[in-house]
Amino acid sequence: MIITAISVIFILAGLIFFIGGAVGLIRFPDFYTRTHAAGKGDTLSSLLVILGFAIYQLHDFESLSHDWLTLLVILKMLGISVFILITSPTSTHALMDAGWEDGTEPKIHRDRPNHLNDDCEKF
Amino acid sequence: MLSKVFATIAVAITGSILLYGVSDFPAFGDPHSPANAGVPGSESVSLYFIEESYKDTKVPNIVTSVLADYRGYDTMFETVVIFAAGMAIFAILRVVGNKEETAAKAAEEDSFTNGDHNRIIVGTTVRIVVPVIQLFALYVVAHGHHSPGGGFQGGVILGASFIIIALAENLNAALRRLSELNYVRLAAIGIFIYAAFGIMAQVLGSNFLDYGALQPIFMTDGPEMARSHSMLGVEIGVAFTVTAIMFAIYANLASRGQLVKGL
Repeated sequence: MIITAISVIFILAGLIFFIGGAVGLIRFPDFYTRTHAAGKGDTLSSLLVILGFAIYQLHDFESLSHDWLTLLVILKMLGISVFILITSPTSTHALMDAGWEDGTEPKIHRDRPNHLNDDCEKF
Repeated sequence: MLSKVFATIAVAITGSILLYGVSDFPAFGDPHSPANAGVPGSESVSLYFIEESYKDTKVPNIVTSVLADYRGYDTMFETVVIFAAGMAIFAILRVVGNKEETAAKAAEEDSFTNGDHNRIIVGTTVRIVVPVIQLFALYVVAHGHHSPGGGFQGGVILGASFIIIALAENLNAALRRLSELNYVRLAAIGIFIYAAFGIMAQVLGSNFLDYGALQPIFMTDGPEMARSHSMLGVEIGVAFTVTAIMFAIYANLASRGQLVKGL
């Protein structure tokens, strides 16, 4: 019972972040903010949903010798989440970097100082 | 505006026709549908596979046993088609570069993390992730008997790992690990392995690709396990070819056939 509750909380939290990422992808003004929304939202929400599934699997778990197959499923899910944790932010970073090198202009409020070109030379 | 109205009408009509067609289909997973049970008077062949494939081959995954054994001849020439596609790409795109470019290629730096500081993030991640991907690809190839997977899928994953190396640094970094000579060899060896299993069966006095005849070579208890082991063997051959051709297509397309620098 408690296990179900915890896993449902995890999955619902993940879905909320998914919605946030989707809304951000549509409503944010320029390339960088949209990628930021999609990258951050998707990473965290995928992790939460997969962790929720892994916790739900504990239902069938009785003892280590009896149920090592269940444990294997949980370990695989944890492996997937580690993989997403490493690769998803990197691909977002690579996408942003490619956009920057391609000369995509970020949208900046006209009253704010524009520091973007200051940094360019160093890198 | 008007075009949108017409497009909406066209989509609605097409969609309703398709939905009407769906209503004629048998229910999902229906054991009495023609595909599963056949029509009255003639049984479907899938009944045979569902009931007998484990007894015949000792492979729990019916898809693998059908793909690599019952219709092994078909799969072998699917692999040949992939090989031919790779050779066609090679014949159309590949140009031999001039000396200047070869010199530039030799002068190219070696490290993932060299140069542009943004490379550090991507390069480090790729260095961590690529061994995991390659190990997983081997697992997919070897585990095709028990779970979804097999030579084609594992080969694609393995080829993609080399493409990731080429994307993270440049094409030369990937070509140092799998050179042009080696990937062409690998593609040919894959088909050779597959055909060798067929010819060995012929040499031992059976039909082409009849793996049960390979029992004396594998020294198994019965022809079933010989079929199981041979399936693994031909899957490995398929994986070789698919890996090599995946990478060959990427390398030739990304560098316009010059195999220098890449994207």
